[in-house]
Amino acid sequence: MHYKILIIEDNEQNLYLAKFLLESYGHVVLTALTGIEGIKLAESSQPDFILLDIQLPEVNGYEILEKCKKNKQLFNTPIIVVTSYAMAGDRERCMSAGANGYIEKPINPDTFMQQIEEFLLN
Amino acid sequence: MSHELRTPLNSIIGFTGILLRGLAGPLNPEQLKQLGMAKNSAQHLLALINDVLDITKIEAGEFEIFKNKYDFRKSVEFIAESLNPLAQKKGLAMLFNVDPAITDVYSDKRRIEQILINLINNGIKFTDKGYVKLDCTLIGNDIEMKVTDSGIGIAPADIEHIFKPFRQIDTGISRLHEGTGLGLSICKALAKKLGGEIMVESNKNIGSKFIVTLPTGLKD
Repeated sequence: MHYKILIIEDNEQNLYLAKFLLESYGHVVLTALTGIEGIKLAESSQPDFILLDIQLPEVNGYEILEKCKKNKQLFNTPIIVVTSYAMAGDRERCMSAGANGYIEKPINPDTFMQQIEEFLLN
Repeated sequence: MSHELRTPLNSIIGFTGILLRGLAGPLNPEQLKQLGMAKNSAQHLLALINDVLDITKIEAGEFEIFKNKYDFRKSVEFIAESLNPLAQKKGLAMLFNVDPAITDVYSDKRRIEQILINLINNGIKFTDKGYVKLDCTLIGNDIEMKVTDSGIGIAPADIEHIFKPFRQIDTGISRLHEGTGLGLSICKALAKKLGGEIMVESNKNIGSKFIVTLPTGLKD
């Protein structure tokens, strides 16, 4: 199955990495460098799911997560947090804020897509 | 701190992984070999960073424990599955025994797994022939977890130092056995934080036994 995926990530290398990896499996990838830009793009393009970084300029990922969950057009769109925070408690914080999954960076290109699909199934 | 250290590693490990999988085009055998080495080094650096971050937090007293009720046997099965390939690669037998009396545990699953993975990994690393085994026994309200190996063992003069940070690097063993030299001090600090302790018995050239005792967290 091929997805339409929105990646919200401010680090350009990491954005290129995730985009390249997902596109090489045939998925359609949209990208945004800030959360606000990401929400606008999500509203207009309705992706199958969103990959969201936490450490973002201006409005951080936690706030974006909350905004999406309150947004009429987006509250049903699965959001998977992909972050290098990886401190104890961060996973719990993201999940209770409504994230559908949590993947720690560095990502493993061998298993990344599989991890995502497992979260989407649950 | 964690974020700053891991962000560049994400692209290093990620791009080497993509290139190794051939997703950006085919590579010749020498390129694959060199990229594989780069990936191993990046992974080693990541382990080092994770350990240094853990020990820094422990020393600063900022370390938090997240307790939940979980299935201990299942968690050991997960550990067995993830470490079996490493033992197989070295031709070692891996044995896991969990006392049937042990069911659920109320503790920090990730941290207990971290301790056990660390100890079993060490067992595999320092054993060239024979076995590494984990025995878990219920003693009153505690679980005793014993990791035994038939490896190189530890000399009596070294045994009192092995829980100190960077001991492995001090002795120069690390060049033979890639590690961070922080694993055992983290295990010791974690065991203490979880309300238990860790002990070691060893005979040079015969093997080592690490005994971790932790409360189940469940009251009868």
